[in-house]
Amino acid sequence: MLIIQQLINGISLGSVYALIAVGFALVFNILKFSNFSHGGLMTLTAYMGYMGALFFMPYIGSIPLFCATILTAAAAGGITAIGVERLAFRRLRRNNSPLIYYFISSITMGILMENLVTIFASSNFYSYPKFFQSSVITVVGLNIAVSDFLMLFFSSAALGLLLWVLYRTKIGLAIRALSFDVNTASLMGMDSNRVVLATFIASGVLGGISGVFLGINYTLYPQLGQLIVKGFVASVIGGLGSISGAMIGAVLLGVVEVFLISFVGAGLAPAFVFIIMLAFLLVRPRGIAGVIVQEKA
Amino acid sequence: MDYIISILTFSGITLVGVLGAYLVTGLTGLFSFGQAAFLAVGAYSSAVLVTNYGVSFPVAVVIAMLLGLIAGLIVGVPTVRLRRDYISLVTFGFGEAIIAILNNSANLTGGAMGLSGIPQYTTFPVVLISVAVCLTIVVSYKYSKYGRQCLALRSDELAAKSMGINVNRLKLTTFLLASVITSYAGVLFAFYTSYVEPGAFGWVVSAEWLIIVFVGGINSLTGTVISALLLTSLPELLRFASEWRIFIYCAIVLVIINYRPTGIFGEYEFSWRSLKRIAARGGKAV
Repeated sequence: MLIIQQLINGISLGSVYALIAVGFALVFNILKFSNFSHGGLMTLTAYMGYMGALFFMPYIGSIPLFCATILTAAAAGGITAIGVERLAFRRLRRNNSPLIYYFISSITMGILMENLVTIFASSNFYSYPKFFQSSVITVVGLNIAVSDFLMLFFSSAALGLLLWVLYRTKIGLAIRALSFDVNTASLMGMDSNRVVLATFIASGVLGGISGVFLGINYTLYPQLGQLIVKGFVASVIGGLGSISGAMIGAVLLGVVEVFLISFVGAGLAPAFVFIIMLAFLLVRPRGIAGVIVQEKA
Repeated sequence: MDYIISILTFSGITLVGVLGAYLVTGLTGLFSFGQAAFLAVGAYSSAVLVTNYGVSFPVAVVIAMLLGLIAGLIVGVPTVRLRRDYISLVTFGFGEAIIAILNNSANLTGGAMGLSGIPQYTTFPVVLISVAVCLTIVVSYKYSKYGRQCLALRSDELAAKSMGINVNRLKLTTFLLASVITSYAGVLFAFYTSYVEPGAFGWVVSAEWLIIVFVGGINSLTGTVISALLLTSLPELLRFASEWRIFIYCAIVLVIINYRPTGIFGEYEFSWRSLKRIAARGGKAV
């Protein structure tokens, strides 16, 4: 029974990692660089979600409040992502800058956002209000934390929605076309600026939701965004640049991590996760889904 | 005077660390987000050896650099043959892992409380000599066969490979050299502040170094050195609101990257001849 319990916790944790990893993979898919500003965006939106929660608290409670918080953070994430794209990447794309500049730009943007939060929240710890009366529901003898359950639910919903957009709508088709080949897509008359912007918004929305979940799991602090490393590990395991791979990798990572925590303790778990990632790189560097390994010239 | 010397000492230590970052980023175009973790490896291993086990300082320095080399091998070997993104992601994970280990081996490293009571062996002359030595190593590396191969590899990996350059090996060599230099900076750091804690080695430090390299100009070692000295000592000297410091750096970098992507110094390298040329041109202008 305990194992099933752990498995469920792991999958729920993994679904949050999946949000992070997919938000990261989306941008990677199109612009072919690792977007390190995603962590900063998660921090920023986690705090915005917190402010949203405080704002709505007098009017609504429990589940509607939870939804309102997530929506606030998601909207904030989308808007922030637009800003990031404008400030950090628009000009670079126009100048056809080398990949190195994208890296630097994204790191800078990430630190900038993290630093903004540090300045205004002055490194204090905040925590989200308690959303629910009872924190555990019991289903056939299994105790599932309500927050875990809702995280699983909302992450799956968000990811499902994303997949629907990617594979069933016109803008999704455009995103997939652009991630295949930017130049051909532009020559076909596609407005690449708009598609890139849409991708950034989608990635920002996912980042916003994951920010709130991280904030609920680990309280709010300015370095919250460093948990993006989980997203990195998940993408490496799943295969860089593959969205489905990122999801699989993230759920695997969540499960492995929950079991590792019960064996070696929460403190050393990151070290073991790192070793697993290295082993993966040695044995199967292209990850589970495996698309891009070598750099195209 | 003591105050100025302490600032200079600290800038010197940072400069040694930044030289490591310059080797990785400026020469090969790889990005290490865990460069500060090598700083931690050097700082902690030497500090623990000296304070807990009574190893003499020079021996501890050598062991610390060897450990830095081993850490570099662990990170470097699986990643150099892959896309450049991997080394960034893996070094980031490496940084987190090192911090987790430091936090969780409290009986050895003092955990989150940090390790104190390290003797203060790092004096200003020591730092000055270290900077001179490391700078000489990096300059001669840049102008050696390897340095030129690195530059070729940075601009086009495939072309470099087809010219017969062993790309993976070159990347690994450069990365290892940088790891060793950075762990040495860690030793200097630990024996200067006489106190180390895991929080001082987070990814923000690594990212700050990358920013320093970039502000000076990714092609110019001179620029890197000058921006390292300026960006670490100016805030101390002017004492302007330190919490906005990083914000201002970031704003500067965003402006540079959008409008002058080669950095402030571009390709310029310091030499007496170039100084004369500038002087001559200045004379004509007047």
